[in-house]
Amino acid sequence: MNLSVKRINAIFQKDLKDISKNIFVLSTVLIPFLFAFLYGRQGDVPLEVQFLIINIAFTAVGAFVQSAVIAEEKEKNTLRGLMMSPATSSEILTGKSLLSAVLTVVTMIVCLSITNYVVTDPIMLLSMIIALIFFISLGTLVGLMTKSLMEASVVSVPIIFVFGMGRMFQELFQGNKLVMIFDYLPNVQLEMLASQITEGASFAESLPYLGTILAWTLISIIVTVIVYNKSTLDA
Amino acid sequence: MEEIIKVDSLTKFFANEEALDGLDLSIHSREIFGFLGPSGAGKTTTIKLLTGQLLPTSGSATVFGVPVKEVNSPQHLKKIGVMSDNSGLYERLSIYENLKLYCELYQVTTDRIREVLEMVNLIGEEKKMISKLSKGMRQRVVLARTFLHKPNLLFLDEPTAALDPVNSEQIHRGLRELNQNGTTIFLTTHDMREAETLCDRIAFLNNGEVQLMGPPKELQRQYSNGNIRLELKNGHEVEVQNNKEGAQKVHEWMSSGELVRIQSHEPTLGEIFVDITGRKLI
Ligand SMILES: Nc1ncnc2c1ncn2[C@@H]1O[C@H](COP(=O)(O)OP(=O)(O)O)[C@@H](O)[C@H]1O
Ligand SMILES: [Mg+2]
Repeated sequence: MNLSVKRINAIFQKDLKDISKNIFVLSTVLIPFLFAFLYGRQGDVPLEVQFLIINIAFTAVGAFVQSAVIAEEKEKNTLRGLMMSPATSSEILTGKSLLSAVLTVVTMIVCLSITNYVVTDPIMLLSMIIALIFFISLGTLVGLMTKSLMEASVVSVPIIFVFGMGRMFQELFQGNKLVMIFDYLPNVQLEMLASQITEGASFAESLPYLGTILAWTLISIIVTVIVYNKSTLDA
Repeated sequence: MEEIIKVDSLTKFFANEEALDGLDLSIHSREIFGFLGPSGAGKTTTIKLLTGQLLPTSGSATVFGVPVKEVNSPQHLKKIGVMSDNSGLYERLSIYENLKLYCELYQVTTDRIREVLEMVNLIGEEKKMISKLSKGMRQRVVLARTFLHKPNLLFLDEPTAALDPVNSEQIHRGLRELNQNGTTIFLTTHDMREAETLCDRIAFLNNGEVQLMGPPKELQRQYSNGNIRLELKNGHEVEVQNNKEGAQKVHEWMSSGELVRIQSHEPTLGEIFVDITGRKLI
């Protein structure tokens, strides 16, 4: 694969300029901040709350902003221009992912410095990076499968509930068999991994969690690429 | 003459509706080819098929000698420019910022922006945001964007549809300039004057089929009945045949000072179209 950094950067720079004028999309960055401010002042913030903030950043910023910028390219017929240019699919998809990825990382760093959470474990850090890729890919998929920014926003709401706050529902419906599958959501796995690591889990004990998150990510990338390639055809 | 596009019995169905019915075409390198036809004739569908945005139902088409299915690869796309009904711009960015992105995608220097803005008569407007532009100005920005990389082959779907005559004329100059520098142009239009003045060859499309093809002047000659049209002092327009009897009449009107004007009467492309299809071009 021969990626042109220049093309990827050109798409990123364009998105950066564009988002600075798009208050609606940018405003979702406030949601994780709101949680961080609300809980961050309570002194010792429990791990559950840290991961509520992390997963809301992943969904409300990562997946949502990504779905919004992709859906808008479709809605305004600008994606076609990118596709008809010599930029490859990988260059377009990478370029289109950078903005939401950077925005998520910055949001998360600021929020977690408010709530005093530092990630030092390399497995944990790696899992978070893989989870970020999962959420960006999920956002891309939503953007590709919806027709407009508004539609993408509507579809993003259940995603924020399930992948951002899934843990809360899990507690609400405790004992229900159906909720068992929530255990395998990447966001829940991420939190479980964090609590295992604080309890001193070994590398081998961490692997199943990392593996589950990685599986979600790979599957979603494959589906996204298939859907993207289909969308190069009109109608 | 080298063929740059070759289309063979191309058919396209949408659900059960036939948009193209066995299209045959051959576009020569470095010509300006006009694809004419009323709305719904299949012009846009043809452009989308030729640029790999749609797959044909049957038949074959090649561009640069490769099947259209494979045209969607960077090595071919860098030689192609496309403006279609689905060419959008970034609304919150300026004209310059929109074009700058494409300079980087096509890897041409930003010096080119000034040149293409000149071609579409938008010098001095580059800082304006797209959302503030009129429909015609947007169309000119899209055109400028397709000119940036001096494509070998340019597909333009109704390039001057939203433009006033002055700007259309400017665009025509730009297209001729590109063409002289080696760009083959495939454009669709329902503007007969545009076809007459700009195109080396045209094809009439109706109900998904090519009805007639050739250089506009040749078609006009072919469909001319050879009559001569006269305008008389009393305001009447009369046609006489180009023969002895006609000459007699002309002589009479001339001697009596009744004749105001003589012109050879060639049918317009619009008239030819109505003649062969019974349909008006709109
Ligand atoms: N995506 C589509 N789905 C269904 N029918 C379509 C689609 N695109 C075009 N058509 C139909 O195909 C025919 C040709 O359309 P088009 O190529 O847009 O014509 P033109 O550009 O000459 O006006 C029309 O009857 C139109 O309704
Ligand atoms: Mg059309």
